[in-house]
Amino acid sequence: MKLKLICIAIVALMIFIVTLFIGPRLISPFGMTGIEKQILFSIRLPRVIISVLMGMALGASGAVLQGILRNPLADPYILGISSGAALVAAAGIITGVSFFGVFTIPVLAFTGALITGIFVGAMGWKRGGFWPDRLLLAGVGLGFLFSALLMLIMSLSSNEGLKRATLWIFGDLSIADWSLIPYGFIFIVVGLGISMFRSKALNSLILGDDLSHSLGFSPKKERFILFISVGLMTAASVSLGGMIGFIGLLVPHIGRFMIGSDSRILIPVSALGGGVLLCIADLIGKSVLSPMELPAGIITAILGAPYFLYILRKKDVLSF
Amino acid sequence: MTEIVFAAGLGDNIVGVTSYCDYPEEALSKPKIGGMSNPSLEAVVLLKPDIVIMTTNGNSKEFEMRLRAMKIKTYVFESRTIVQLPDGIRLLGEAIDEQERFDLLASDIENRLNELRARKQATSKKVLFMIWPEPLMVAGPGTAIDDAIDLLGAINIAEDTNIQYPKYSIEEIVRRSPDIIFIGKATGMDMQGTSSGLLSRLSYLPAVKNNKVYFVSDNLYRLGPRVIPGIEELAEYLEGSEDSMVRGENNSLLKK
Amino acid sequence: MNILDFDKVSFSYEKDRSFIRDLSLSMKNREFIGLLGANGSGKSTILKLASGILKSAQGKINLWGKEIDSYGHRDRAKLLSYLPQLLDVSIPFTVKEFVSMGQYPYDAKPELTVEDAIEMVGLTDYTKSFITNLSGGERRRVYIAMTLLQGAGLVLLDEPLANLDIKYQIELLRLLKELREKRDITVLMALHDINIASQFDRLLLIKEGRMLGSGTPHEILTKKMLNNAFDIDIEMQHEETGGIYIRY
Repeated sequence: MKLKLICIAIVALMIFIVTLFIGPRLISPFGMTGIEKQILFSIRLPRVIISVLMGMALGASGAVLQGILRNPLADPYILGISSGAALVAAAGIITGVSFFGVFTIPVLAFTGALITGIFVGAMGWKRGGFWPDRLLLAGVGLGFLFSALLMLIMSLSSNEGLKRATLWIFGDLSIADWSLIPYGFIFIVVGLGISMFRSKALNSLILGDDLSHSLGFSPKKERFILFISVGLMTAASVSLGGMIGFIGLLVPHIGRFMIGSDSRILIPVSALGGGVLLCIADLIGKSVLSPMELPAGIITAILGAPYFLYILRKKDVLSF
Repeated sequence: MTEIVFAAGLGDNIVGVTSYCDYPEEALSKPKIGGMSNPSLEAVVLLKPDIVIMTTNGNSKEFEMRLRAMKIKTYVFESRTIVQLPDGIRLLGEAIDEQERFDLLASDIENRLNELRARKQATSKKVLFMIWPEPLMVAGPGTAIDDAIDLLGAINIAEDTNIQYPKYSIEEIVRRSPDIIFIGKATGMDMQGTSSGLLSRLSYLPAVKNNKVYFVSDNLYRLGPRVIPGIEELAEYLEGSEDSMVRGENNSLLKK
Repeated sequence: MNILDFDKVSFSYEKDRSFIRDLSLSMKNREFIGLLGANGSGKSTILKLASGILKSAQGKINLWGKEIDSYGHRDRAKLLSYLPQLLDVSIPFTVKEFVSMGQYPYDAKPELTVEDAIEMVGLTDYTKSFITNLSGGERRRVYIAMTLLQGAGLVLLDEPLANLDIKYQIELLRLLKELREKRDITVLMALHDINIASQFDRLLLIKEGRMLGSGTPHEILTKKMLNNAFDIDIEMQHEETGGIYIRY
């Protein structure tokens, strides 16, 4: 198993490096001109790094959530965290505030995500712990509410503000900047670390609370910790580059198909898979209508939706 | 539209405007009938207008059909470029039966355009006009801005995209290295604040290094009489970039 | 020392009504005990109290002489394992993955390997199969294998034979008894099938949260006790060869 994981990691790394040099126009690693070096370092590299971080956060969060909620259709956005983030961020974009300079929108998004996460957590809490069904309902409900509010704001705004907000919401990686990376890195790595550290507990949660308890875990405590890790990763991801869908939903499925459901391997594989998928999606978005750019979120939706429908047709998806 | 009608001296005859009509100031106190893409049929009907003036750029064809179905006289303004503007104004005058006023306005604009065309000192300068820094949106082909740049003899580096206001690749900008970058104003925004992030990331770009980034007004965002001062503004910068200019307060340009 | 002790334990799901009242019981090592009672009589609750999932409102519960609350989660998991009545069928693990979770309470690898445990329950051929593809009886055997790996001395099973074909019921019972010999485990199993009840060393008869009696099948499976416990009216036949039957 470990061997498979290492192979996947190496392939993923190679793909990251290749996308760095390929698009939207090929830069050969040998004999780069001054301008190309500039482009590579200050424009492409931060963008690839952010794609990787976001993809990892989304892939891992999807795997963890599907385990906690025992539902193969769970996706990090199902908890409504991203809707809250999008709402606050869009409001910020449309009103054009900039009190934190380049950090403004990410900070707003993160704040929105945190507040929503706390709300959802509070509503999903009963008798000392999170209950999967309550979390799900709370998340979906809040998600609807915030989406409605978002649409309200957008319908009241001018055409320019509308367009900008829409682009951001669909996953705008063009804001990629070195200054954002340390913060994104910390939150995502911490979240990833927590979830990988508790992956045995996650496995036991999939069996059900009683068996989890029998194996020596406190299901309530583990759900809480894992929820926090998902919250951190999702909030960081949305603040780095908006909402990019389908990765959290589909990458764990592909991962399960490749290496089974053991969270100890599934979480890192989903993380790597998410990074790869997002890098490629962004590459397509940058290249297909060059020099115009399509948000990566649109690409993942176009690729993801049909694939999602395809796997839905296969027998065992709905039963995990 | 509102601006054109006001400029022709018929401001008092206007009984209703959209919520986006904010120029000139008198327009703000006119009754509102809704937005550009979603005006209220009811509001229009209540005002009992003799004629409703619309454009093809932002108003819906459906609304026009509904107006006609209610037997309300409508006129659709079809000019899309600066070059087409004077004639469009004349046709509008014809439709309202106020030929004189609008002809006057049209000629005035025409003359100014010719004057500006003749100046042509900005030959082949590479220009980029940013509508918004993050995400990066620029003025592409088919916009009044693009027309203006063209008219002044400069080159819009973003003219090969297919849509008017595309989300543009930062990388491409670096490759194409514009000589001058204009950043347009958005209503009520601090453009210098919002652009600081992008500009500091592009600090190595020649246009940024040489201080050839200018914050300009939104005059060119609408096809109306204000395009003239809009073009003049761009012209000043394009020509002035030969000498050294000094930035005064409110970013106004002062010749040394 | 007793493996498990309940000392005047009371518990209720709702505030005012008590469900389990003043229950006392004890189990010694290697006993094969059946918790017999009608549905809703409190069997599941007793098992959950014994496993630590529920906490008693009054009274003490001791595992190996120490109060159950004094054990950390992992330490307790090394001592007892609990199989609930309803096992979700949609678990996406293979037999091997499932069984190997029995090692979770431990840091170091225990001497029993996953393969050994799977072999002991006779499922070696299914090592790589998904749980979802196994029959009810096979799935419960997988659980037993996990328990073996967990090294739990006390095994609590809630109606493990329910809805199984007689073939699998027999299989499971035989397996448990065999493991009891070979691996020194103590079994407490909840059931409501009177026929199977005769297979146990000792029976605890439960009605409405109270213990009606504790004794050998011959002592418990009598007309008087059963009619009371189950609200029925039957005759029981006890044969000298050991068989115990209901006379309808």
